Amino acid sequence: MDLINLELFKIDSLSTFVGVFVGLFTLLTVIYSFGFMDKKKGLFSYYFYIILTLVASLGVVFSNDLVLFMVFWGFLGILLYLLIGVGEKPNTSKTSKKALIIVGGADALMLLGLALIWHLTGTFKMDGMRIPLNSAEAIWAYLLLAIGAFAKAGVMPFHSWVPDTAEDALTPVTAYLPASLDKLLGIYFLVRLTLNMFVMNLDMNTFLMAVGSFTIIAAVMMALIQNDFKRLLGYLAVSSAGYMVLGLGTGNFIGIAGGLFYMLNGAICMSCLFMTCGSVEKNVRTMDLDKLGGFAKIMPITFITFVIASLAISGVPPFNGFASKWMIYQGIINVGKNGGSLWMLWLVATMFGSALTLASFMKLIHAVFLGQPSPENPARKDLAGGRIPKSPLISPKSSHGDRAEHREVNPVMWVPTVILAVLCVVFGVFAYQVPLKMFILPSLKMAVNFSGTWNATLATLLMLVSIAIGIIIYFLGTITKTRETESFVGGEVLKEHPDMRVSGVELYNTVQDIKSLKTIYNMAKNKAFDLYEVVSKIVFGINKILRYMHNGILPTYLAWCLLGMGILFYVLILR
Amino acid sequence: MMDISYIIPLFVAVPLAGAFLIALLGKSIKKFPDVMGVLITLILCILSVKSVLIHNTYGILTYSAGGWNPPVGIGMVLDGLAVFMLVTVNVLAFCVAVYSVDYMEKFTAKWKFYTLFLLMLTGMNGVVITGDIFNLFVFLEIAAVASYALVAFGTEKHEIEAAFKYAIMSTVGSLFILLGIVFLYSYTSTLNMADIANVIMLQGKGNIILLVSVLFLMGFGLKAALVPFHAWLPDAHPSAPAPISAMLSGVLIKSLGVYTICRIFFNVFGINPAISSTLMFLGVLSMLVGVVLAIGQWDFKRLLAYHSISQIGYVILGIGLGTPLGIMGGFFHLFNHSVFKSLLFLNSGAVEYATGTRDLQKMGGLKEKMPLTYSTNLVASMSIAGIPPFNGFWSKLIIIIAAVEAGKFGYAFCAVLASILTLASFMKVMKYAYFGDLREKWKAVKEVPFFMKLSMVMLSLICLVGGILVFGDILQGFLGSAQEALSRGTEYAFTVLQGIK
Repeated sequence: MDLINLELFKIDSLSTFVGVFVGLFTLLTVIYSFGFMDKKKGLFSYYFYIILTLVASLGVVFSNDLVLFMVFWGFLGILLYLLIGVGEKPNTSKTSKKALIIVGGADALMLLGLALIWHLTGTFKMDGMRIPLNSAEAIWAYLLLAIGAFAKAGVMPFHSWVPDTAEDALTPVTAYLPASLDKLLGIYFLVRLTLNMFVMNLDMNTFLMAVGSFTIIAAVMMALIQNDFKRLLGYLAVSSAGYMVLGLGTGNFIGIAGGLFYMLNGAICMSCLFMTCGSVEKNVRTMDLDKLGGFAKIMPITFITFVIASLAISGVPPFNGFASKWMIYQGIINVGKNGGSLWMLWLVATMFGSALTLASFMKLIHAVFLGQPSPENPARKDLAGGRIPKSPLISPKSSHGDRAEHREVNPVMWVPTVILAVLCVVFGVFAYQVPLKMFILPSLKMAVNFSGTWNATLATLLMLVSIAIGIIIYFLGTITKTRETESFVGGEVLKEHPDMRVSGVELYNTVQDIKSLKTIYNMAKNKAFDLYEVVSKIVFGINKILRYMHNGILPTYLAWCLLGMGILFYVLILR
Repeated sequence: MMDISYIIPLFVAVPLAGAFLIALLGKSIKKFPDVMGVLITLILCILSVKSVLIHNTYGILTYSAGGWNPPVGIGMVLDGLAVFMLVTVNVLAFCVAVYSVDYMEKFTAKWKFYTLFLLMLTGMNGVVITGDIFNLFVFLEIAAVASYALVAFGTEKHEIEAAFKYAIMSTVGSLFILLGIVFLYSYTSTLNMADIANVIMLQGKGNIILLVSVLFLMGFGLKAALVPFHAWLPDAHPSAPAPISAMLSGVLIKSLGVYTICRIFFNVFGINPAISSTLMFLGVLSMLVGVVLAIGQWDFKRLLAYHSISQIGYVILGIGLGTPLGIMGGFFHLFNHSVFKSLLFLNSGAVEYATGTRDLQKMGGLKEKMPLTYSTNLVASMSIAGIPPFNGFWSKLIIIIAAVEAGKFGYAFCAVLASILTLASFMKVMKYAYFGDLREKWKAVKEVPFFMKLSMVMLSLICLVGGILVFGDILQGFLGSAQEALSRGTEYAFTVLQGIK
């Protein structure tokens, strides 16, 4: 078949960069899984799927032929489906179905994009085309292919499988696919489309920035009101994909470099967050924020890695998330300088998004790690030293054990999270020396002019000094001892809630009461924005009509045949 | 050249003889129907593969029945299209026969089943190789009548009802075909298809040819289950025993419907834009209506039956495009669809065999109990949904590319849309049948017996390999010669008539 040629694979800096991190994430996930998947069934198929995912992902990254690319890309959809299916929640099968319908459906749209590309260029070589977006076909080709990238990376409106997967799949699977690998691959393909295969114009860039900004804000607003640990993280993963798309959409070097850098950082942080989440999950069965709390003391390593990753993804300096967000901000400002409109809107969206991300992490850190443990929670026993009744929430493995059972997880599980947290720090402090110089800038093959200089190393030093001074002041100030007593309100000692526990679930629930947002939130709860649900409603509506017509009565069917033949007569002879 | 053309009548003679022998001896010798059924289909399978090689070496072959040369006698023609269809039909028939060895144990009168099965096969092979239009009608009726009986094979109430509806509607279609043949004969005074093509070329296309076109489109469209002539299919196909459902959906609608449409409209009448766009429209309509109807079904086999309508839509769309790439894609999809749809019906049969139900809502968690059925069903589902690297992906890709190349963007989009809905409905099947918690009453469910497994594994391997072979020369030659046979159009007449002399 002449549709393909022999140059099937190509290795360049961008693909090497993504390939290296695909390998790294696979390695860390496998190590983590040794701990997490301990004593679970179906291990053979689980690891088999992981290895196949690695192979297919590398295939995606290194293939230069679009058809071959499509084969690997589509195959990843099945693997995602199978890996989610390994989970054991009641809704797992529903979620895996939904994930493959969205991802596979987007892949089907990509086929049309592929066909349009063949129509336009007559080649499938990814490096052999530079299609200007000046015809309807070219714009459709770009959009259809971008939809595939969006669905894989979880960009709105193709995101709805990500939070569901986060909730229902096994945690290492979530950390591996939607949180890291699918981000890398989805954005990788978007970069290829945007930089290599198409010549972007201003409108398309604005479109990308709009999609990105919308994803950032909408996803983080949804994250704020979630009460499930993993689902909240799932929405934040969606939000982080928005930054990557926005960065690419700026269309200038620094913004694109920032988007690419954020792709890496977002993947590292989200993967780390999901893994720490899984470590907590190992101790308690529930992921309901209302029932967690107090894990900082019993799982210090997990806590510290979680805090580092959450600060990093919220864009707090000196971590990696800030370094890349800083570049994205500059990119947006450059758009403004070059006369692009609406740039203030995008800038506000990114900054507001960062703040809200931080806010949702405040909720998480309080509810899971710092807040008072809930009565059913094993952490409570360790903190209070008192006896608590056995609860079904405590996993059977730990319920019969003693206090030592509720300690930090196995090193096999915390080592990968620590590695990722270290990467968060290193990529932030030495942003220009390590990741940008080694991976990002070579893959873009362009020089980047930084408008505002941000000397990460110096800033970090200053921050460390200020923290040290703060600690000294703290110790100087607490020389006089404080007095400890029972908690009381209005002079009465609390009997009902002796710990004055605030679970953290209610935090930010007030945003739902804002009038304009209230209806939107209610609609979101009814899944009015979930493309999957909306389309399925339409399809089943048509289905109902058609089924009504198929009433099983023979004369009706014969009448159709005659009617059909009559129409054929009219069309072919009389007309 | 004449000495190798003996292979042509064998495709009819062997299964006919098999049917006769089974009817004669099957009742008294216990394992005879099984052994003969598998053996006959195996022989046909080998013969069809051999016919590919023969066609590659010698080109188009003809055979005159009884030594009477056409147009007086009945001619049989083995060209690229016929070879392609023969391989599809007979490979599938072999897999289904193997499956039936175990599956049909739960029915009585296995010998009747195999007799009817081989008669149906005779009819299909006959339709494909005959060069005579009235003979084609006769073979078509042989296959159709055998299939009516097979649909009613379970003799339950709803099966009889479905068979009755099927018989009535199919007969109406046949009558219109016969009427068309009568008109054609009155116009051309010959029944040999090559000769008809010749006469039409000389006399020009009168209005009567347009009338015949409409009659044939309706009649053969009904056999191919194109919307709006499809209504018999969702009743008939699920009611038959699973192996027969596999044959009906897998090859019967194609050899009786799609093949005949191709042969007559491309090779005999010569394709024109009006017919071409009508075919494309009917294809897209079937594609969408079929899949939207399928997605709401809860009966496993009924869902599959609606998908047959939808997938035939793809085939007709590809062929209707009329470009070499489109025809190639259409034929490739035809082959792929016969493989994966048969496999899906066999899977549904396996589930029914193990649990006794076809209602998806009553299943669940069968993944653990029936791992092989699950994995083959997964392969088939992914193939029909067009997920790479399985074969369905490649044929859909070719059809979509061909549609875009021909400038039919809307049709290409419809094809993509139908593909997404197909994926969704098969996700539903997988979820309800295989995932989730195992129900209490299925705790004792066991995987199906050996021959059923063997057959499902063979078919899923074809699904897997078919995708890879798309780049090889094997499939190229195989599909390419079929595509060439159509693309050449009415040159067919010339080559065939030359072959006879």
